[in-house]
Amino acid sequence: MVLLEKGKSILTFILVVVLSSCGGSDEPTPVDDDSKDREAILVHWADNIIKPSYANFNSKLEMMGSKADDFTDSPTNTSLIEFRSAWLSAYTEWQKVEMFEFGPADRYTLRNFFNIYPADVNGIIANINDPAANLEVPASYARQGFPALDYLINGTGIDDAAILAYYTTDTDAAKRLAYVDKVVSRMETLLSNVVTEWNGAYRDTFVASTGLDIGSSMGAVVNAYVLYYERYIRSGKIGIPAGIIGTMVGTPYPEKVEAYYKRDISKSLVKTAHQAVIDFFNGKSINGGTEGPSLKSYLDGLGAKDATTGTLLSTLINNQFSTINDKVDELSSDFYNQIQTNNQAMVDVYTNMQTEVRYLKVDMTSAMSITITYTDNDGD
Amino acid sequence: MKKYFQKSTSAAPLAVFRIALGLLLFASIIRFWAKGWIHQLYIEPKYFFPFFGFEFVTSPGDYIYFFFALCGLSAFLFAIGFFYRIASITLFLSFTFIEMIDKSTYLNHYYFVSMVCLIMIFLPAHVYFSVDAYRNRSLAFEKIPQWCVDAIKLFVCLIYLFAGLAKVNSEWLLNAQPLRIWLPSKNDLPLIGSLFNYVWVAYVFSWLGCLYDLSIPFLLLNRATRIFAYGGVIIFHVLTAILFPIGMFPYIMIATALVFFSPDVHTKLLKKIASLLGKSNQLVFSDNRYEYNPISKSLLVSFFSVFFLFQILMPFRYLAYPGELFWTEEGYRFSWRVMLMEKYGQAQFMVKDKDGKYAAIDNREFLTPLQEKMMATQPDMILQYAHILRDHYSALGWVAPEVYVDSYVAMNGRLGKPLIDPLTDLAKEEDSFRHKPWILPLNNEIKGF
Repeated sequence: MVLLEKGKSILTFILVVVLSSCGGSDEPTPVDDDSKDREAILVHWADNIIKPSYANFNSKLEMMGSKADDFTDSPTNTSLIEFRSAWLSAYTEWQKVEMFEFGPADRYTLRNFFNIYPADVNGIIANINDPAANLEVPASYARQGFPALDYLINGTGIDDAAILAYYTTDTDAAKRLAYVDKVVSRMETLLSNVVTEWNGAYRDTFVASTGLDIGSSMGAVVNAYVLYYERYIRSGKIGIPAGIIGTMVGTPYPEKVEAYYKRDISKSLVKTAHQAVIDFFNGKSINGGTEGPSLKSYLDGLGAKDATTGTLLSTLINNQFSTINDKVDELSSDFYNQIQTNNQAMVDVYTNMQTEVRYLKVDMTSAMSITITYTDNDGD
Repeated sequence: MKKYFQKSTSAAPLAVFRIALGLLLFASIIRFWAKGWIHQLYIEPKYFFPFFGFEFVTSPGDYIYFFFALCGLSAFLFAIGFFYRIASITLFLSFTFIEMIDKSTYLNHYYFVSMVCLIMIFLPAHVYFSVDAYRNRSLAFEKIPQWCVDAIKLFVCLIYLFAGLAKVNSEWLLNAQPLRIWLPSKNDLPLIGSLFNYVWVAYVFSWLGCLYDLSIPFLLLNRATRIFAYGGVIIFHVLTAILFPIGMFPYIMIATALVFFSPDVHTKLLKKIASLLGKSNQLVFSDNRYEYNPISKSLLVSFFSVFFLFQILMPFRYLAYPGELFWTEEGYRFSWRVMLMEKYGQAQFMVKDKDGKYAAIDNREFLTPLQEKMMATQPDMILQYAHILRDHYSALGWVAPEVYVDSYVAMNGRLGKPLIDPLTDLAKEEDSFRHKPWILPLNNEIKGF
């Protein structure tokens, strides 16, 4: 009889525990199950964000190529100004595709060939003198792409007249123009390779890979996205020039800012890149601007949140993005100057970006069950 | 008690267990080699994380292939029962040596394999259906002491029970963590995938998983429920194989659970294999029983007493430490706590010295991605890495380098927070069995085991 009593109370205890857990005190409002449909996200990314972004960039790059041709055919003050304007337009548009270093872009290591700075001036000059110079090797990364063009059209003279002389009256003028052509046509070729694959069979391969394991589309995208934010925006555009390593400030390197020679566009470039990162997180379509399935909707579908406050992780992420935008707005458009007059403002941006890196790299990937490693092995 | 040790049973179950375990381990070694993991995990890393007290164990560089070959070979010889004693000792030593090189590669099922190979050294698994018995009839016996088979069963029961007990906590049962995070990542599986989008399914899997672990030993021991239980074993472990990247473990457990079946089942199985090999008439059936010599007997009693005492006490050592076990991980390994956490972190290290030199560490220059991932959530590895950095910079001429870490760890759906006190100079801290006071508290109670 005692046993029966004991059994009853144990059963009651179990029932109470089960029922109270089913009550789900920490359950958010019922979520749409489609929000965890990864294929829908991949399709939206491919068709409404990635391909249109590449298409837009492609047309800007083609325009730059055409203006470059005009310039190298006939270097005049007008053609220089137009070339520079098209370069600026293309460089700005590039910021919207720089984060897509996965799939074809990863295979062609597009970013390495398009935007590694500071430009290697000595290397560029050496390449100018050597028409057979190899632009495929890692040593050549800083001798091509947008930073090289930055030097070539903005840094080769103290004013436009001097720059023009560099391409008209100086003895090496013809070789220099030839190098400009070489750099530009290489960029066009590389981008064309990437765009062709996205417009071809790769898109279907991309959306079919719906798992989250190493090598899956979403795994590759999230890894690339987080890496881009951490290493290329946070460190590359802000941290390294401001001399921030880890969390301490050392010697700044203002000459390592993006677009060092143009000088006044560093802020607009990082703003464009940052906004593209934000829009991607929220699944904003390039054409139309509506939000579709995205990292945000996926996280919300998983119920990822800060349990102590009940705030959704996606809200924390977006709020932090917003804070960073405000901090970036406070900077001068000339980062070189900003660093030398008030580096603390750069450090503030960096610190806020570091907070964001942690949300993305640790909280987001953990909630999504995505591994940020490249090792495949058994886990226990 | 003495009567129990005099009981006999058929040697067939132990022989089948030996063959199955040996072949699966042999296959595991081949698989490990084929995936390139030998190179990736034991040759590529610049540094390793030895276990406390075992710092003398270090990777032999390229010679690691020799140890893997030795392990694979001994597993095969173990399986066929050729020079069994030497094979089983070599298997245990080589496998355990490999696993002791780096904490980053610790897996509960490797620990299981080590322990079971250790037990097998002392059991007469070679007296039946083995090359040794075939070549030397005086070694062949059909009967062995019952406790020999029971020892395996007891060990398996203990593992399941502790694994089940480890799941009796508020994370697993009340929050369905971490399954709630892991299951949706598999929602693209055919047929069952879409179920994983629902949180209630994570609760069902959590509760069923816990109940399975706690009940399966009894269901397997009880003859009436055995077949049904074994069906459960297969379903459970195959499911885990589909859902999680845990390698050979599910198959090892499915094969291991066979030991609970009656001798008849095993004898039939061996007869079948024998007839396939054309050696049916070689199977021995007699009442001769394998006997240990008296000295061995007393040593065995001591060994197995210590062994099982150790196995029973180890999972509870966490009680000697303050703080949340899942967070501090003091006493976490070697306790059958299997797949209980989704824990991920980032650790930014800084080294500075008396002269004002300063370095922010890029972990990729010292550790592999796997090592970095494991280190970032485990305080003892964070300390070891800090010492690696201290010694590295000392060798560069830095004066009394100090090492600090800015850590951020997310666990079971909680928002990330610092794990380690960023103001503690880890270069001065020494590793020991004592609690590490520089681990910051979780400030969130996890009830249960």
